[in-house]
Amino acid sequence: MGFFCGGLVGHALTMNELLRDRKMTPKRFANHFESFRFDDRFVFDVQDPHQFLSQRKGDCIDYAVLADHVLTHHGYTTRLIRVEMVGIDAGHAVCYVDDDRVYLDYNNRKYFFNLKRSGPSIRQVAKKIAASFEANWTFAQEFAFDYDSFNKRVIYTVVKIEPPSSDPDVIARKESS
Amino acid sequence: MKDKTTKRILAFFLLISVILFAVAVQAARNIKQSSDSSDWVNHTHATILEIDALRTALSVAEASARSYSWSNNAHDLTTSKKALSDIGEHLSITQALTRYDSNKAEEVSDIEALVNQRISSLRNILTTTAKGKAAAARGLSNRDAGNEVSIDIQRRLKKLKDRELAQLTERDIESYLQAQKTRWIIWAGVTLNVLLLAVVGWLIKHDINTRRQAAAALQAANEQLEIRVKERTAELADANQQLSMDNLEQQWTNQTLEHQLRYNQRIVDSISDLVFVLTKTSNISRMNPAVLHHCGWETTDLINQPLAKVVELDDDTNNPSNGSLKLAMKEGHDLRDQKANLKNKQGHQTPVMLSMFPLRDQNKIVGGVVTIQTT
Repeated sequence: MGFFCGGLVGHALTMNELLRDRKMTPKRFANHFESFRFDDRFVFDVQDPHQFLSQRKGDCIDYAVLADHVLTHHGYTTRLIRVEMVGIDAGHAVCYVDDDRVYLDYNNRKYFFNLKRSGPSIRQVAKKIAASFEANWTFAQEFAFDYDSFNKRVIYTVVKIEPPSSDPDVIARKESS
Repeated sequence: MKDKTTKRILAFFLLISVILFAVAVQAARNIKQSSDSSDWVNHTHATILEIDALRTALSVAEASARSYSWSNNAHDLTTSKKALSDIGEHLSITQALTRYDSNKAEEVSDIEALVNQRISSLRNILTTTAKGKAAAARGLSNRDAGNEVSIDIQRRLKKLKDRELAQLTERDIESYLQAQKTRWIIWAGVTLNVLLLAVVGWLIKHDINTRRQAAAALQAANEQLEIRVKERTAELADANQQLSMDNLEQQWTNQTLEHQLRYNQRIVDSISDLVFVLTKTSNISRMNPAVLHHCGWETTDLINQPLAKVVELDDDTNNPSNGSLKLAMKEGHDLRDQKANLKNKQGHQTPVMLSMFPLRDQNKIVGGVVTIQTT
């Protein structure tokens, strides 16, 4: 059946399959998760990826972290972004792909357009995500995660009420360029 | 009148447009400010939530570390590690959320130093327990109970939270006032515009009434004019009829006079005696055909010529050229049957009888009529 049938119920998608797929793209990755269910544990903890893939059930951070892991493996430059919104417990996480200027959102997995375009700054991504929830965001973070330590490491925190020019990721990008 | 009303209406509509535009601009500005106020309220809520989460994580980490030191249960260890990780995360977020205010940032920095101290102490308990040094771990745990640093952290976090709550109230009031202001501006603008529209409506109604009155007055004037035209036409028709009749009568009179004149002329022309009509100076002005017949003169030979050219009185030696005739005419009495000589064109003289009758017009002598009887 191969990877094209990844979205079909009953096929156990594995990490190896994802890592070995030489044609892997963000769109191709997202297509595998069309039939995955949502796990409403309401915690911002990452599930074991094998469990996520075998149970075909998880939440936004499981999907974002797995996308980050797989796409980085295939040479993409990705970033994990978490957005905190008013009244939405534990926030929402996505995986942003710098190369394509799109982000992968677990909430969009069932749609044909399962990638969402956005500017690269954390604020731009946060605005898009908050708009998709029809909510106000308060702060957003870029963080790193690896399956070895299962530790989240915050890289930048952007606060909405602060002027965009003082966003740490924007300042860092300016300094690096 | 019309132009004035139109200008007024246009001015009112311009004013209404300006007010609408101003209200829209102000409302948009207020909405932006309300959105900013709302962001501040949300931000404060988020900060309070993070402070609470930090306090909870700290309590959980402390409780689970102590529990682990006594139970050596792996679940306690996991819970404690997770809580320690959460402390770091919540502290980091709290720092980010308060960095806009230097006082708060400094306060959070102080809390961070104390929290790091606490994390170090708790990790020490966990490490000691994990190494199997249960007695030492319990000793550390006992000493850790009621730790001053922990109490200080909780006190500082509570103080920070209270400040955030106070700010939350301020920002909520600001947000409420902002919304209230927006409502007032919009309603005031709408009310003002409704009033202006009412004035415009009144102006239009007034203008329509004025136009109706003007139209009615014009119609009445037209009807009056029509009546006068009809009357005048009737008068003119009557006058015309009268004039026609007058003309007819005049025509008849003229015809009668002409007939009379022609009849008189016929009478004079029919007389076989020679008849001359003289001016006051005794020149010939008219004559009958008998003159031309007897003398052979043409009319043009005699008109404006003295009577003496044709006929002269016999016994007029003292008054040559018919002097006695002129005198009688001047004095206004007739001359009857006077002997005279008639001269024809060839110069031959014939004895005739001459009579002269002065010609009067309104009691003035304007000439005379001479009749010649041939024998």
